[in-house]
Amino acid sequence: MTDYIFYIFLDMAVEYFAGTIPDCIHSMRRHDTKKPETASYERLVFRNASDYHYMKISLIFEGGNIRLNAAHFKQLIISSLRELYGEIGAALPFDVLKFEENTLSAVLRVYSSALVRLWSALTLLGCYQGQPCGIRVVQVTPFLLALSGNSRELKLD
Amino acid sequence: MYSNLEKTPRHLLVCEKSNFKNEKSRHGIHVENHYFNYRVSVLIPECGALPAGLSTIGSSFGKYYLVKNLPVYEIVEQQFLDLCVKKGSFYALSYNTRIDQDNSAALIPAGKLILSVDKDTYEELGLEGQQSQYSHKAVMRHIITIDLTDASFAPGTKKYKRVIWALKEKKPLACDFLMAWHPSGEGDFSLSSYFAKYQCKEHTPSVSTKILRDIPSPVISGGELKGKPEESCDSQEFLDWLGAASADIDCNNEASSFLSTYCCPEPSVVMGQACLWTVTGFLLPEKIYMLLEQLRHYFDEPKLAHWTTLTVHGFADSPVSWGVAEHGFHKGGENLYNFVIFRNHDYWLQMAVGTQDGCPP
Repeated sequence: MTDYIFYIFLDMAVEYFAGTIPDCIHSMRRHDTKKPETASYERLVFRNASDYHYMKISLIFEGGNIRLNAAHFKQLIISSLRELYGEIGAALPFDVLKFEENTLSAVLRVYSSALVRLWSALTLLGCYQGQPCGIRVVQVTPFLLALSGNSRELKLD
Repeated sequence: MYSNLEKTPRHLLVCEKSNFKNEKSRHGIHVENHYFNYRVSVLIPECGALPAGLSTIGSSFGKYYLVKNLPVYEIVEQQFLDLCVKKGSFYALSYNTRIDQDNSAALIPAGKLILSVDKDTYEELGLEGQQSQYSHKAVMRHIITIDLTDASFAPGTKKYKRVIWALKEKKPLACDFLMAWHPSGEGDFSLSSYFAKYQCKEHTPSVSTKILRDIPSPVISGGELKGKPEESCDSQEFLDWLGAASADIDCNNEASSFLSTYCCPEPSVVMGQACLWTVTGFLLPEKIYMLLEQLRHYFDEPKLAHWTTLTVHGFADSPVSWGVAEHGFHKGGENLYNFVIFRNHDYWLQMAVGTQDGCPP
């Protein structure tokens, strides 16, 4: 009996090496070597796809060492919006994504439809707690990734 | 009431999906034709230290040169073309010139000199050019393209003499140039010795590595560019999230927060750590392609990460974006592209341009 089983396995081995393997083992091998699906080519073009615009700005004081935190900074911009556009303008939703207290620089996010109103309010922002100040807009872009690579910052001596 | 104020200039985003092993994949062409690159960033999820292969490539990015107050005719003269331009890929871009205000110049490896000049300079120079594609009623900018490798530009020809005369005597143009050279064979040419009589300084690209910890990241699938509800995010959401991760912006905000409501697109997972590696300088497409190939083979060994990204930022003040397509600066000069590389050699390629740019190829 054992010899008979041995000869069955020997027979399968010979068939395997001869290229004609039994169906059950062949289908297992086919399953093992099944290649993962790869992506087919696709191209999408989006025009004005970004709902938001991003602004990198910095607050500059004429003199004095004035410190403020992110909440004060946002409140300052809201007050400038209120001055220019009233209560409706003050309700304009925008985000202070990042604020650095040391350099008084920030990254803002605003809906594209509200960009002009926010930018004009930033331009006309004139003072904080009686101190003259201004906002310098460093970069404006619809792609947040573009804020990480502004070649105009390249300074070589 | 504010309908006119709600309009913004147009921008374009092209998202492509393919596989690196696909014969018709054009990833190499896109990298090769984007000549002027300012910054390259690589983000590797679930990675606490920079892989050895990347740091080797980072150190081999090659030097670039800043030549101050170089007259433009010097890179047009036949001697320079024979020694340098025709024996490799030479890249030159005017430094510290703003494409929307000043005169800019660029020399691309195809041997074309591209001058982007204002109206007065164009009239004084007297060379043939075209109006900028982005002019309005008053044409304020002209683009002059001179093919230096053309047969009609051989020394002694009328065209050659006119160009040299215009740039040398009629309206001498000079600016600071960033330049780099990638030789096609063995050569002993040195830019620093050729331009020794000008102030030529060698620079090395600066490299920085940052490890990000405990950041939420969107779940994406290589085959689903538009995402699948509840399963994966789309390519635009991913690009925005990548911008937030690169700029170190908090993605864990509540909807009721006063300061920011920005949060990671869903579905998302939290990455324990991620390596963000950045190279900044005047970077050549040849080296960027080597970096891309290295990243492709990152997944040859089993890794926890499902994807990595390679982001390339172009110069905002370059006269061209891809190939000889005109590039301008309206409210921004973005011309960047981003590869998302998946384990099975699938990739996404996202190319973003601003207002004064044609559609990426």
